[in-house]
Amino acid sequence: MTKRRMFLRMITASLLRRRSRMLIALLSIAVGATILSGLVTIYIDVPRQMGAQFRSYGANMILLPKEGTHMTAESLQEVLGVIPEAEIVGASPYRYVRLDMPSRQQSFITAGTEFSQVQKTSPYFSVEGAYPEKTREVLVGKEIAETLGIKTGSSIELHYKTSGTAGQGQAADAAAGETLTGSAEGFNKVIVTADLVLDEEGKIASVSVDAASQTPGIGSLVGTDRQFLDQFIGKKLPLSLSNTASGEDAADEDHVVDAVTGATISSQAAVDAMNNAVLSGEAAPVERAEQFTVTGILSTGGEEEGYVYMSLPDLEKLTADNAVDVAELSVTADAEVLEEYCRAVSEANPDVTARLVKRVTRSEASVLGKLQALVFLVTVVVLLLTMICVSTTMLAVVSERRREIGLRKALGAADNSIRKEFLGEGLFLGGLGGLIGAALGFGFAQVVSVNVFGSSISFQPLLLPVTVLVSMVIAAVSCQMPIKRAVAIDPAIVLKGE
Amino acid sequence: MLFKMIRGVLYHQRAKMLLIAFTIVLGTSLATGMLNVMWDVGDKVNQELKTYGANITVKPKDASLLTDIYDVGEGEQLSEAYLNEEDLPKLKTIFWAFNIVDFTPFLEADASLPDGTDAKIVGTWFNHHLSLPTGEELDAGIAGMRSWWDVTGGNWLDESEPSAASSVMVGTLLAEEKGWKIGDEITLAGSAKEMTATVAGIYDAGGDEDLEIYAPLDLVQALTDREGKVDRIEVSALTTPDNELAQRAAKNPSALSSRDYETWYCTAYVSAICYQIQEAIPNASAAAVRQVAESEGTILDKTQLLMLLITALSLIGAALGISNLVTASVMERSMEIGLLKAIGARDRSITFVIMVEILVTALIGGVAGYFLGFGFAQLIGQSVFGSAIEMKLKVIPIVAALITLVTLAGSLPAIRMVLRLRPAEVLHGGQ
Repeated sequence: MTKRRMFLRMITASLLRRRSRMLIALLSIAVGATILSGLVTIYIDVPRQMGAQFRSYGANMILLPKEGTHMTAESLQEVLGVIPEAEIVGASPYRYVRLDMPSRQQSFITAGTEFSQVQKTSPYFSVEGAYPEKTREVLVGKEIAETLGIKTGSSIELHYKTSGTAGQGQAADAAAGETLTGSAEGFNKVIVTADLVLDEEGKIASVSVDAASQTPGIGSLVGTDRQFLDQFIGKKLPLSLSNTASGEDAADEDHVVDAVTGATISSQAAVDAMNNAVLSGEAAPVERAEQFTVTGILSTGGEEEGYVYMSLPDLEKLTADNAVDVAELSVTADAEVLEEYCRAVSEANPDVTARLVKRVTRSEASVLGKLQALVFLVTVVVLLLTMICVSTTMLAVVSERRREIGLRKALGAADNSIRKEFLGEGLFLGGLGGLIGAALGFGFAQVVSVNVFGSSISFQPLLLPVTVLVSMVIAAVSCQMPIKRAVAIDPAIVLKGE
Repeated sequence: MLFKMIRGVLYHQRAKMLLIAFTIVLGTSLATGMLNVMWDVGDKVNQELKTYGANITVKPKDASLLTDIYDVGEGEQLSEAYLNEEDLPKLKTIFWAFNIVDFTPFLEADASLPDGTDAKIVGTWFNHHLSLPTGEELDAGIAGMRSWWDVTGGNWLDESEPSAASSVMVGTLLAEEKGWKIGDEITLAGSAKEMTATVAGIYDAGGDEDLEIYAPLDLVQALTDREGKVDRIEVSALTTPDNELAQRAAKNPSALSSRDYETWYCTAYVSAICYQIQEAIPNASAAAVRQVAESEGTILDKTQLLMLLITALSLIGAALGISNLVTASVMERSMEIGLLKAIGARDRSITFVIMVEILVTALIGGVAGYFLGFGFAQLIGQSVFGSAIEMKLKVIPIVAALITLVTLAGSLPAIRMVLRLRPAEVLHGGQ
């Protein structure tokens, strides 16, 4: 029998024969290792998991188009590409437009958005009823609902209007020589359109009116009567009719024209159409209406309760454009990383500015930092105490074997071989206990993660060798003292039992 | 005789007993520390979450949507509704007054600037000193409720200084646009009068506030001739996460049974606090800011559950650690037990003697461990939250029961096992 085999046999024999005691030592190490691997796994994973919980505070980043540019849902998707998809909790585009509700003579800010994303970026929205799923369904803020007595299932008609004044502003900005187009309601509410060109001083250079829809021979003259049309040349916008203008306006030669006799309404329509004129190709003043079903009442405790929410495509249908005013993003990352994303977004699309919602990012950093420190300290304290507990148990188990050591010494065993044997035993127990503990600890961390955060935890491969190693070191260290004491003592005294 | 034996063991085998006592000290301190931290972590984290700002807003009951939704500017004399500034201290008289951490009033107006443009001016308290009828002293204001604002130039207005009455704080974007610096005098014209004020601070709020002016409440009241009036109040309160009862109550408190109502009213649910604020302040309507209130609930629940599970793990660890060692120490004494048996001691008396020895050790270790554990809790409280962890009396019986149970569970089976062995075998040294 070789020396090595003898050594192995001694260790295994001692482990097997002294089952109950070794079981205690093993159990103690396994408990320590479980706590070690469990707590460390949790500690590593807590920032990620807790960070996800903090997303319930809503968006921490907003994207805005730079002044004078437009953002669309498509350009938004493009920009989002620079942020890792796994970190984006949600991204809600918003388009705010004021819509009228003529039946109640009210108007409210209406937000077009994507409801599936809103539920992610604003999980605190509380909807009585349901989020809209189909087209022509809306969510109404609680304040509006209470004031107007709107309930889930109610039907409301919303109107979108562009006013003529918006056109005027654009006409003033238009370059000389460009054709401007405008329209207005004439007699019998039929549309009259006008095209005009301005010179460098903003004076009308040429004009044509399409009034074929008006009463033939009376209203239609507005489009054909040269005397009526020629008087516009050299005038400035806005225009008014001499028989409706009063006071100073009437005397203002630059802005007043005479109506076609007997066709005041059509003349007024032609003047309005010119006042409304915008760059051709732009939308003329319009009014579109749509019926909507209310699927839910929104309460948030904030100003959102005064808004109406509908899907972006519905709002696009009303406004006939696909602009997005702002996008709210909820990203699981800390403030520093978020700042980086902000820069990356601006680089990817210079027309988009990304800004952090300071209230959320700042507060999150401070609270999350505290929570992490809490878990860290708890982990350290628990580990420290547990490890000392493990050593005391090992100490007790080994001390008990003083007699055996004495006997072996009396039989002529060298101090070194005794030390080696006990150390081997300790290391074996440490390794085995560490393995068991690492598995149990991961199980514990998994239970915690699933129960607390509702998601599974990622396995930290490095933690397995670390746990085993730490357990072995602790077992070996705690064996040292009792062995040293036992070896130092005269075998005769030990055997005598004193 | 018993006393003498126990004293003998404690004295002669003090190294072994010390080891047991030491382990029990560690186990107890672990249990005490974790339980104390676990029960206090809710309050502490709740306190931290106050950095997110107010969780309740109070508005006049009849405040219509007018200014909010229809863009009707102030001064157009539509039926405007206000709260009274003098009612504010009443917030600290409600049932959950102690949970109201901070509050501040707001009064908004449009001020015309000398260059012909308008800017939104918000009157508020900065660090308003209140002496309550209850004798309590308190500083309330936005300095504590806008923790995310960076004061990039100057300082927060200090209302205790006389110069504060004619000072304002300006948002960074507005200051940049107008070229204002700290110490500049600006002229503000409100609907009632024109005043000059000194720019005392420039802040970066990262939101719409950056285009606004924040001024002392009195200044805005004088500017628009609305003495003693307030638009809205923001309240920051410590609350208990909502449960099913709170949700039912929030819809309609009067629909609750009287018992449920009492439970609800006497729990710090955000809806209960809102309800009490409405009772205390005439003509007020208080609503929870869901973004803050709801998220607070989620995070508090999660943190508490996390701490509960970690505590459970440490308790199991401590329990196994102690019972392991006790078992080991009993088995170690097999020779002594065999000897006692050989000279005719009855099993019951042997068990009794050993149990008493161990329990006395456990008592000593437990008491020491309790205080050590409390120290650990304070260490965690001070270094993480900068405040002491409250001593919870309910921890004592729990820890006492745990230690007793664990010591018994660790020693009894071991003693019985050793007793089952034949004295001759034990004394002979065989296993």
